[in-house]
Amino acid sequence: MHVKSTLTGWLMITGCYLVGEFFVLVTDLPLPGALIGLLLLLGGLLLRQRPAITVGRGAKPLLTHMSVLFVPAVIGVGLFWAEVSENALGIVLALVATTIVALGFTAWFAQRLMKSRRSDKC
Amino acid sequence: MLRAELAVNQIITRFSEVISHTVTVSGVLWLAITLAFYGVALKIFRASRGHPLVHPLSITTIAVAGVMWLSDVSAAQYREYASLLHWLLGPATVALAVPMYNQWQNIRQLGAPLVISVMVGGIVAPLLAWGVIYLTDAPVAIQMTMLVKSITSPLAMETGAAIGGIPALAAVFVILTGIVGALAAPLTYRLLAVTMPDAQGLALGAVCHAVGTSKALQMGEVQGALATVGLGLNGILTAIILPVIF
Repeated sequence: MHVKSTLTGWLMITGCYLVGEFFVLVTDLPLPGALIGLLLLLGGLLLRQRPAITVGRGAKPLLTHMSVLFVPAVIGVGLFWAEVSENALGIVLALVATTIVALGFTAWFAQRLMKSRRSDKC
Repeated sequence: MLRAELAVNQIITRFSEVISHTVTVSGVLWLAITLAFYGVALKIFRASRGHPLVHPLSITTIAVAGVMWLSDVSAAQYREYASLLHWLLGPATVALAVPMYNQWQNIRQLGAPLVISVMVGGIVAPLLAWGVIYLTDAPVAIQMTMLVKSITSPLAMETGAAIGGIPALAAVFVILTGIVGALAAPLTYRLLAVTMPDAQGLALGAVCHAVGTSKALQMGEVQGALATVGLGLNGILTAIILPVIF
């Protein structure tokens, strides 16, 4: 176990998040702070050009167990039950049918585009 | 300087609220209940070799909702008790920079086709969903919320709020979109003969954000990396473009 470097990595990630939040609040940008934090961390890693060992260890538990972090948000559907059930049919159609169509179309499109690009190079 | 001070105060206040909700008997108890169910859900998920129908998120949520119902705890109360989990979504979003960095070579090599594909997914998915919900005469707030369903939930909640949607509902739409996509991806790809790992991952990330990304990670390293790129890029583009349009 690399407790110390995992913790350091986690603190670095959280630091980027807090700086992102701070930046958004100060500048009044209509962007999420977490997004700025992500760009900051990515920029920092790209500048260093070395394998991201410490940050990687800190990121691992957050990324592997991201699902559990969504539980409070999903439980929140209970708060909007009236609106949701009134428009249930449209919501189900919009979420299920169009997601599958959009997913299939995007994957198909991406494959065509990237395949032609790869064969160009070879 | 005053602005900076205000911002720092706001961040500290929010964080101390999270801590004070967590460090109560109910807070610790509900956190423990959630994590315990999640542990069990992970075991089930692994035993099923990762079938999306038993995704840890759905099992954990159903089990937690069951205990809430038995103990008469409302959704609003639970969200307060479990606010630490919700807060951690922020750092988790930032952590997505790591897989993006690890796959940077891959991203640069694919270049423009990658960016164009992500943009296509990022435009088609919300527009289709909005079209359907518009035809059923749903309220404008729900229509606006639909537009952010394909991006990762912390970004979706804030962007949704910025364009007149409902943040909590945005989170739910986002999750359901992700689960549907993760469930449907293998069959959809088989039917459309999408065999290229890069395309499989990219679409999952761009259309189905983090839940899609975890499905993609399970399909393979390349799929996972491209999904992360799709998620990050589409999240960034949508979060910037939507508030400008509305």
